[in-house]
Amino acid sequence: MKIAVAYKWAPNPQDAAVGADGSVDWSRAKPAVSEYDPVAVEVGRRLADATGAELVGLSVGGPDVASPMAKKAALSRGLDSAVVVADDALAGAGTTPTGRALAALVQRLGDVDLVLTGDSSVDAGAQMVPAVLAGALGWPALTDVVAVSGTAGDLTVERAHAGGSQVLHVTGPVVLAVAADAVVPRVPGMKDILSAGKKPTEEVPLADLAGWQTAPVEVVATAGPELKVRKGQVIDGADPAAAVTALVAALRADGVL
Amino acid sequence: MSSTYILVAGDARISALVAAAPGATTAVVVGTRAVADAVATSGVGSVVWLGEPGDAPLEAFAGPVADLVAAAAPDVVLASTRPADRVLAGAVAARLGAPVHTMASKVEVHDGAAEVTRAVFGGIARQTLRTAGPVVVVVDGGTLGEGGSAPVEEVAAAPAPTVRVVETRAAERTQVDLGRAQRIVAVGRGLKAQEDVAVVEGLAAVLGAETACSRPLAEGVGWFTKDRYVGVTGQHVQPDLYVALGISGQLQHTVGARAAGTVVAVNTDASCPYFAEADYCVVGDLYAIAGALTDALR
Repeated sequence: MKIAVAYKWAPNPQDAAVGADGSVDWSRAKPAVSEYDPVAVEVGRRLADATGAELVGLSVGGPDVASPMAKKAALSRGLDSAVVVADDALAGAGTTPTGRALAALVQRLGDVDLVLTGDSSVDAGAQMVPAVLAGALGWPALTDVVAVSGTAGDLTVERAHAGGSQVLHVTGPVVLAVAADAVVPRVPGMKDILSAGKKPTEEVPLADLAGWQTAPVEVVATAGPELKVRKGQVIDGADPAAAVTALVAALRADGVL
Repeated sequence: MSSTYILVAGDARISALVAAAPGATTAVVVGTRAVADAVATSGVGSVVWLGEPGDAPLEAFAGPVADLVAAAAPDVVLASTRPADRVLAGAVAARLGAPVHTMASKVEVHDGAAEVTRAVFGGIARQTLRTAGPVVVVVDGGTLGEGGSAPVEEVAAAPAPTVRVVETRAAERTQVDLGRAQRIVAVGRGLKAQEDVAVVEGLAAVLGAETACSRPLAEGVGWFTKDRYVGVTGQHVQPDLYVALGISGQLQHTVGARAAGTVVAVNTDASCPYFAEADYCVVGDLYAIAGALTDALR
């Protein structure tokens, strides 16, 4: 029995340079395992240890997803093995092709009844891939999951719900998106990183996956971010009372207070 | 005539979706009859209601919703960013092979092609994207709309039988709707201890403001509930006044508050990124400034 964890190898947009015309230069933004995916790996690791399942990482993306650095970074988080699709056609792919390709990879892997994902990716932040992945598999999806116990086919899932929480019983295959604070993921040590290099990895050719393509999306215009013009008036706070007097006067003059 | 399907999971607050929808609108409602009735008076053309959910979570209706939308073949599918709504939208996108667009500001249909203008990569740039087929657009749902009285057609659907709600624990506190707050005092990692939340609440009280926070304070240390987290995957707010205390101004956060009228940022670091997106940049200690500001306004 296998538990799959979908992860993304992606850069942080914070580190990208954006031109006035909206062109994005990623050359200084280094990719990493997307910030909340280690939480999903940790939830999967604990469940796999409790049930004797194998924990398999799945990732689809551009060629760098198959780089030794990317595979080691993911495997050192606690996965048993990794299966990736690394192809130019999937570099920067949108939510739907990514979710569909992951679904095809789950089906190809077989013997999987539980797929875990993080809360959102660092670069797109759409929080949509788990839903598309589940839809493509015909499985239900639950998000904001804070705890999972039991075995596949008889899972108890707790999730955040409308400010409170909800406990669900799941008797079939399911996709679970774990909350960013579900558990604290382990920090890989030197031993984890060294042993990661020895774990099995498989690279699946994109041609082996069926039905991941979607209608082409054409970029007809780009622009910089929509920013309001801000005053940028600096107030020295070394003397808090004086600073506050100046601030309150300015806000009153603006009609805000 | 273009057509839009609006997906609704248990929450009738869809005014922003109705406003953004091109062409004739049909709402597909999963949830109780009361939700379907509220959607019917929010300005949509018609309502399809999938029946009482019983002990099935609303996400268990994703398959039937995808079937229904695929059969109708609309040009645009809209859904809110609320959790169960996203699951419905994802299932529809998977079924239609349609791209999903989030952070969208404009949705149009020209000659059967959908054109969406949206922020990309967490808000660092914008793109206008054209697809010669249906698109799924997931944006903030808005508030409870008012208008019309659309007919409600019941099409009873069978939810996935493999997932059931066993127990629901209500929120200990009522949820705050930051999207409607006129003033917000937000705090970030500059706050040193949980008991110091009182400093923020004190300033918010004299301003008549709601309190809010950046992501680490809601999901890292849990000093605030998640409904008060402002950021790309949290609340997107538009108050007249936004006071950011000890928030460095990482894109992840500022994207959620860019629609604010006036922004005051307080930070010890004069080179913090937030100062590039603020009207008033107070270089100083948040405790000293918040305390003095509270005294001045009391």
